[in-house]
Amino acid sequence: MNRFKKYFALTRAGIIECVNYRMALVVMVFGNLLYLTLIYFVWKAIFASSGSDVVNGMTFETTMIYLVLATALFNFMEMYIVWEMGRDIQSGKIALNLLKPMKYKDYLFWSVSGSFVVNFVFTFIPTFLIVMLVTKGTIAIGINLIYFVIAVVLAVIINYEIDFIIGTVCLYTESIWGINVMKQAVVTLLSGATIPLAFFPEKLRTVIEYLPFRAIYDTPLTILLSRNPDAGMVAEKLLISLAWAVVMSLISHLFWHISIRQVTVNGG
Amino acid sequence: MNTKKRGLSFYIKIYFKIIAQDIKSRMSYRADFIISTLGMIATNIVGFVAFWLMFSKFPSINGWGYYEMLFLYGFSLVAITPTQCLLDNNWNLRRYVYDGDFVKYCFRPINLFFYYESEVFDVKGFGQLFFGLGTICYAWYHLALPVNFVMILKLIVFLLSASLFMMAMQTAAAATCFWIENSFYILDLSLKLKDYAKYPITIYNPLFKFIFTFLLPVAFIAYYPSLVILRPDEVPLLSWLSPVIGGLFFYLSYKMWMRGASRYDGSGS
Repeated sequence: MNRFKKYFALTRAGIIECVNYRMALVVMVFGNLLYLTLIYFVWKAIFASSGSDVVNGMTFETTMIYLVLATALFNFMEMYIVWEMGRDIQSGKIALNLLKPMKYKDYLFWSVSGSFVVNFVFTFIPTFLIVMLVTKGTIAIGINLIYFVIAVVLAVIINYEIDFIIGTVCLYTESIWGINVMKQAVVTLLSGATIPLAFFPEKLRTVIEYLPFRAIYDTPLTILLSRNPDAGMVAEKLLISLAWAVVMSLISHLFWHISIRQVTVNGG
Repeated sequence: MNTKKRGLSFYIKIYFKIIAQDIKSRMSYRADFIISTLGMIATNIVGFVAFWLMFSKFPSINGWGYYEMLFLYGFSLVAITPTQCLLDNNWNLRRYVYDGDFVKYCFRPINLFFYYESEVFDVKGFGQLFFGLGTICYAWYHLALPVNFVMILKLIVFLLSASLFMMAMQTAAAATCFWIENSFYILDLSLKLKDYAKYPITIYNPLFKFIFTFLLPVAFIAYYPSLVILRPDEVPLLSWLSPVIGGLFFYLSYKMWMRGASRYDGSGS
């Protein structure tokens, strides 16, 4: 219990820091809305020109829900961990953080957890409610919501572990920008954050099945959108996500422990 | 601050002197340079794949053929290159102002905006430039557009005026940090707006057409200037005026930036 007390202290500090920058929150919500209008008009044009209501097994409505919620999930999961670690490494601040009475990985996770909470309350929940109201019942309300929450928790873990692995690479390269944009480009495409995976060609989709990225956006959203989810299908998807979460955290743990000996900090 | 009027040739000469230092210092971190270039290429490839996944299956979107859409996409990539290369230091402005280090720029006998922006030249932008130019050429070939002096002159003039709009938006967004703390989100939003540039404005409803034309001028980053080349028979007045409007927007954003800078009174310790 004592352990969690110190973790929650970090969460609380994060929340206070976020709320303090109220203007940033306003801009974030506004920018999010603008972005959603873009998605709406582009996909409306695509569906209008396709000449049929169903494209790749998805209707305009399900596509919209998928993409809107993917954006909302992205907004609260993207915590710029790679930037944070890169800056710590470049500025040498990492030396101080390593001395803290907590593992660096835990410290980093719990210090961004405050913005998790704020973004969840201020962007994800409003977006979710608006989508539910606007689409009137396309999202079934039932057991799938619980599966969805479990899938999101696993997604947060997998996303964090991937970020932490990529951030560890910065120990070797001392390059932040390049590593970060590369990771962002690959993860957003292969996880289905920008285009539903149903739109990918068959072969590419088979490859993606074997990668961890889809567990971040595609798995939770597919579970949420399925009416009368089949328990076997859901269990399979969640087990795959769980397996990835375990594997990724093992990799990131080992990689960090091998790499931390590498750290050289410029004095000053 | 600005005591003497200096000639253009003075500024060009000094610009190359300043950026030479920046490029030298970057080249000393070779791994970073290579990885950043790879990152840039990866981002562009992913952007291209996403575009292909969305549009290649349909013969046309809203009356726009696949290759015309591709042209807009390439055009927007080239039009944002000058912002990437020349004005990248805008991303650091917030930190300089916050830490108080901005004051060091205020005591130089040259234009403040010029001096500040010239300190960083982002070579990575060239990757995007080549990618964009390649896409334009590819689309140009498939659209069987004529290749002659007038067309190429048009392309250059309208690419340059399109780039003014992106420069104006980034400069104005960066300048907000003189008034607001933590303005990263504004700059990030203005960068995200470039994603709207690659689509024809005809897909939006009238309200958003208005917003993206006059308030947040993203439609000028690719759509209006491209019409001159893609649809020479139906060029609206706004397209022909885009060099002038671009100049105006950039001038206003520059004035805003300078006004913010003159407000700055050093918060550092």
